[in-house]
Amino acid sequence: MIRLSRTVNHNAVKPGRWLGALVLLLVTAIAPAASAQDARAILQSAFDNWRAHSSHAVVEMLVKRASGNRSMTMESWTEGDDKALVRFTAPARDAGNATLQLGSATYVFNPKLNQVIKLPASAMSQSWMGSDFSYDDLSRSQKVVDDYTHKLIGTKTNDGKTVHVIESIPKPGKPIVWGKQVISVRSDGVLTEIEYFDQLGKRVRAMTADKIGTLGGRPYPIVMTMRTDAKPGQFTRVTTTAAQFDIKVPSYTFTKSNLQNPR
Amino acid sequence: MTNTLKTFTPLAWRNLWRNPRRTVITLIVVSIGLWSVLFFNSFLNAWMQASKDATLSLLIGQGQIHAPGYLDDPSIEALMPPPSGKLLAALNDPRISNWVARLQLPGVVESEYKTLPINIMGVDPEAEKHISSIPGKVVEGHYLTSTSDAGVVIGLHLAERLKTGLGRRVILMSQNTEGKLSEQSFDVIGLFDADQATEDYYAFTGIKAAQQYVGLKNQIAQIAFAIPVEENLDPVLSKLKQAAPDLDIRSWKELSVYLATSDSFMKGFIYVWLAVVFSLMAIGIVNTQLMAVFERTHEFGLLRALGMKSRRVLLLVTLESTFLIGFGVLLGMLLSGLSIYALSGGIDLSGFAAGLEMAQGGQVLFPKLDPVAFLVFSLLVWLLGILVALWPARRASRLSPVEAMRYAS
Repeated sequence: MIRLSRTVNHNAVKPGRWLGALVLLLVTAIAPAASAQDARAILQSAFDNWRAHSSHAVVEMLVKRASGNRSMTMESWTEGDDKALVRFTAPARDAGNATLQLGSATYVFNPKLNQVIKLPASAMSQSWMGSDFSYDDLSRSQKVVDDYTHKLIGTKTNDGKTVHVIESIPKPGKPIVWGKQVISVRSDGVLTEIEYFDQLGKRVRAMTADKIGTLGGRPYPIVMTMRTDAKPGQFTRVTTTAAQFDIKVPSYTFTKSNLQNPR
Repeated sequence: MTNTLKTFTPLAWRNLWRNPRRTVITLIVVSIGLWSVLFFNSFLNAWMQASKDATLSLLIGQGQIHAPGYLDDPSIEALMPPPSGKLLAALNDPRISNWVARLQLPGVVESEYKTLPINIMGVDPEAEKHISSIPGKVVEGHYLTSTSDAGVVIGLHLAERLKTGLGRRVILMSQNTEGKLSEQSFDVIGLFDADQATEDYYAFTGIKAAQQYVGLKNQIAQIAFAIPVEENLDPVLSKLKQAAPDLDIRSWKELSVYLATSDSFMKGFIYVWLAVVFSLMAIGIVNTQLMAVFERTHEFGLLRALGMKSRRVLLLVTLESTFLIGFGVLLGMLLSGLSIYALSGGIDLSGFAAGLEMAQGGQVLFPKLDPVAFLVFSLLVWLLGILVALWPARRASRLSPVEAMRYAS
């Protein structure tokens, strides 16, 4: 489930994927799932749906630290499951910084250096733009459903709607560090919470939907917060302010030249 | 000359004991000084040996073989096939007690909490037990059991940094033969306790498991060999180089420059110590001898007045110093010989283990008596002692008989 979570995190920052997944969830998961197969089906269809969509969104990211808050605005484009571009637009200090994900490769552009850097694998788990997200959270969208076994472990209520709680455990031998993930999906297909646990069952971090509204005509987690349990008082909050879905994204968008010199 | 010596030897000897207190003080100065040099030398050597053994037996061995270019850029492209033919025959030389083949690749290790750089070491556990001390340093869990054991043994400190532990899985990532990234989960089956750098630097797994993981057939990165007798190192090395001229073959001195440098530094350091101790000893000797000459002014004046030549006075006083310092040197040799013998069973420094770990030292030192150093240092102290004692002797010989006779002591 880690991969899904990563995907989901990714979506949190790049709402296109989120929305794609959510749309599908909405369509396919109207009937509440009640068994393991159904749990997997929900995630599987979310994943499949995601793959087939494109998006363009404007997102604000607030990074809360003991030393102060940092607020950034970014614009993102996604297509399919392996192409994504995020470009920061504000504040001036961060504007122009961009991250391009092409398949399994991640490229970073820094306008001050005027240089595109391909991230080495060892850097993938480092913090992305000083937030609680890592580069890994942005990428690795594939094999999400396949590497875990999913089980419906309960239900709760959110905003008058039923929320299904799915426990996802990595399949043996898969290169996944997490012990398990617990994912909450609301009956209308909105992911409300993703919790990451270490192998001893201790929660490491969690992402929660703080505000669910309508965006681009769909129910959507407009405000999502990522918290690391070992660092109380710190979090990263992602707010999607505008989004379009299933639009035609020009093919030049996801190129290194566009990463460096935006058209 | 012989006759003179025959006369002067008993004279000088008796003169020494006319003032036993002064003589004993000088004896103590000389013998303690020499004892400190000799004992310190053997202690330092033992220390050096212990830390060298500890470091080399960890992983390095007395030498290693790599493909050319591997040490500059340890990548999957700079590997070599397992030894065969001439090289294999040379490695099976009886002077090489053991050798192992390893696959060492740079990579990263990932846990739930952290991602850290690491060297992935594919090893043959059985062979490794004979050459490396790490299998014996596993304090939790167990060492690898076979070449295809896909568990991983990591250092205690690394496990602490990763916040992982025994029985949990970590992900190892490394470049594979296709130039892509291989990632695989490995269960932590053992934790070893070595120095912190080693604990942080290596993750051990079975060599076959490691080869399979990055898509290799049987290529290896490194052959490490042990040569128990130091003198055999150079001949065996040149024999290996002859057998495999295309490979990069190096001794521990080239592989661990730090160790080789500290080795030669320690050897030079004893001379610094000798110089310091000897300066103090010289002050002691000159001071007491000058005092003696001063007290005996009247006596020297009388001897001169009776017709003794000044050269003879010089000889007499020098003979006295020769006996005095020589006796002190013998005493010092005896003392240091006894104390080295008493400690030859080993000095256990495990009480300072934490500090020693940083210096990569061994925990038990075995001081040994090095006969050459023993004789050389003793002789050196004796001769230098006589040399500085020439000054008071010269003063005694230069006394004017008339003035000296008048001198009331």
